[in-house]
Amino acid sequence: MSSNPYHDKRCQWLMYLVFFAGVGLIPVFIDDAFLLNQFALYGVFGLLAVSISLCWGAGGILNLGQGLMFGLSAYGMAMTMQMQSQDPINNPIPPFMLNNGLDHLPWFWSLFSSTGGGIFLTLAVPTLFCLLFGGLMFSARVSGPFFAIISLALLSAVGTLVLDIQPYTNGANGISPPMPLQIFGAPLDPYSTSMFWVVFVCLCGLTVLAKLITQSKFGQIVHALKNDPERVRFLGYNVALYETLIYTLSGFIAAVAGCCFTLIVQYVSPAQFDVAFSITMVIWAGIGGRLSLLGSIIGALLIQGGQSYLGDSFLNSWMLILGLFFIVVVRFLPRGLAGLIESVLGRLRTPEPAAHEASAALTKSGS
Amino acid sequence: MAGVLEIRDLHKRFDTHHVINGFSLDVAEQTLSCLVGPNGAGKTTLMDLITGRLKPTSGSVRFHGDELTGLSENDIARRGLGRKFQIPAVFKDLSVRDNLTVAYSRHVNPFINMIRFSDPAMNRRLEEVCTLVGLHNRLRVEAGLLSHGETQWLEIGMVLMQEPRLLLLDEPIAGMTEGEIEKTAHLLRKIRRTATLIVVEHDMGFVREIADVVTVMHMGTLLAQGRIDEIEANPKVRDVYLGTEEESA
Ligand SMILES: Nc1ncnc2c1ncn2[C@@H]1O[C@H](COP(=O)(O)OP(=O)(O)OP(=O)(O)O)[C@@H](O)[C@H]1O
Ligand SMILES: [Mg+2]
Repeated sequence: MSSNPYHDKRCQWLMYLVFFAGVGLIPVFIDDAFLLNQFALYGVFGLLAVSISLCWGAGGILNLGQGLMFGLSAYGMAMTMQMQSQDPINNPIPPFMLNNGLDHLPWFWSLFSSTGGGIFLTLAVPTLFCLLFGGLMFSARVSGPFFAIISLALLSAVGTLVLDIQPYTNGANGISPPMPLQIFGAPLDPYSTSMFWVVFVCLCGLTVLAKLITQSKFGQIVHALKNDPERVRFLGYNVALYETLIYTLSGFIAAVAGCCFTLIVQYVSPAQFDVAFSITMVIWAGIGGRLSLLGSIIGALLIQGGQSYLGDSFLNSWMLILGLFFIVVVRFLPRGLAGLIESVLGRLRTPEPAAHEASAALTKSGS
Repeated sequence: MAGVLEIRDLHKRFDTHHVINGFSLDVAEQTLSCLVGPNGAGKTTLMDLITGRLKPTSGSVRFHGDELTGLSENDIARRGLGRKFQIPAVFKDLSVRDNLTVAYSRHVNPFINMIRFSDPAMNRRLEEVCTLVGLHNRLRVEAGLLSHGETQWLEIGMVLMQEPRLLLLDEPIAGMTEGEIEKTAHLLRKIRRTATLIVVEHDMGFVREIADVVTVMHMGTLLAQGRIDEIEANPKVRDVYLGTEEESA
């Protein structure tokens, strides 16, 4: 009865397979190191788009402050990489701290002295933050625009803080670790194929995980919750817990994106906490189709791709163009490009029952 | 018969407005009680107080002996109270099937639900509930596209998926056609064989058909309780409720 292949789970997985197989072939055809590095960076945008799609599309939680999780982990990774090039005995303090008049390593920097511990903290801090902040907000039944605004305010507060505590973060200059991350005894060169594969595995793995979760009972409950949280509560589910978990999961994915970002560009600055960047993430998902993880990824690729091709010539008005485009999509395609595909596929299939009858009639008359 | 629900001296004030004013009620196991009363009598507010949507100003609500006041809505639902809302609350974007499967809330642990993709016990329950409420051939339809009557059945179906011990149904036949009302009466009598029901209803014809016990509420207090013929003969009830109904009719 459901004739739209868009809703067919097998078709959906097939699309994921085609997409990721296509992306996986990139290193086969491209050996330009700079391009590979760019593609890896696009993978990071894809991860961020997945994180927004999960939170906003699947869970109905509009989060305008996803850059917070992204930025925190990007800094964490930069700290880990920076500490790798410090010597605990002869040269324990990063140069920028010395320039800023610090004569000892701050305690929270020393936690990043070991690579394993550093990476763990890099992912754990933003995730735990989501768990606490989300738990606090959702158990107080803060939702919708209120949550969006609070998350935005928090992002801009942390961004300002990072900028302000220059001795610890190098302020507006950001941190540029002198060397790529050394892992398992070898450097992870940002321009290498390995870097591409690291991002690919994260993107593919986390997208599939997110997709599976949206198809599970949990995903179904979260979907219902987006319709009417009150009703879900009366069914016996702890709504705040479900909301907190989907928000945390989304935050974790953004944190993975932050890690990969620093690995790829070997630099981090308060620009990662920029409010405009977090809003751009929401626009990717809005244009690509927030209800579809893959749609959101493609939205991110199209818009960031468009920005790097067209943006150079329209640099000043790019945000304006993007904003207008977003308004048009929201007005005419509320489900984004994925929604457009959904309705086109739906329309293509509508005549099918008639065709079915016709062929049935044919076989009858034939026999 | 053991008491399922015991309400004692319940009060609810909104600022100065005393909506529930010393209400007490006992509901026996496997009975179908109808709660009637004029508009604004406090029937929906009473359901809100029982199911935890509102906290009472004072008084107690006990379910199988356990105090419910102070518990969260989801904890109360977990103890076996299912509620259908006056304004039908179904998930409009979800298919009828998904509405029913979400409502199957035997397992509420979110981590386990993340890896739960199929559930044979749920499918069996779905089958039973579909047979009861008769939405078999509508399972794939988006709930927002259902008719009034079907929406009511869907929400009753959702409550049944919860496998509750006590069902609170607020105006289940609003918007139904004659034939649908007849089917619903049949359905409620069937549910009564295994569970306890409290049904808020205005239609005295329907009440006469289904009720074991009728409770009349007026201005937040219990006005009368008894069998339908006793209630209809009660002069106080005729005065405040049945009388007004005849006038407005
Ligand atoms: N949140 C609230 N704040 C203030 N007053 C309220 C609130 N909720 C309900 N009331 C008042 O309480 C009274 C009882 O309302 P309630 O909805 O319980 O009546 P009811 O018996 O269900 O009526 P109906 O038959 O129309 O559904 C009404 O006078 C209503 O205005
Ligand atoms: Mg009411």
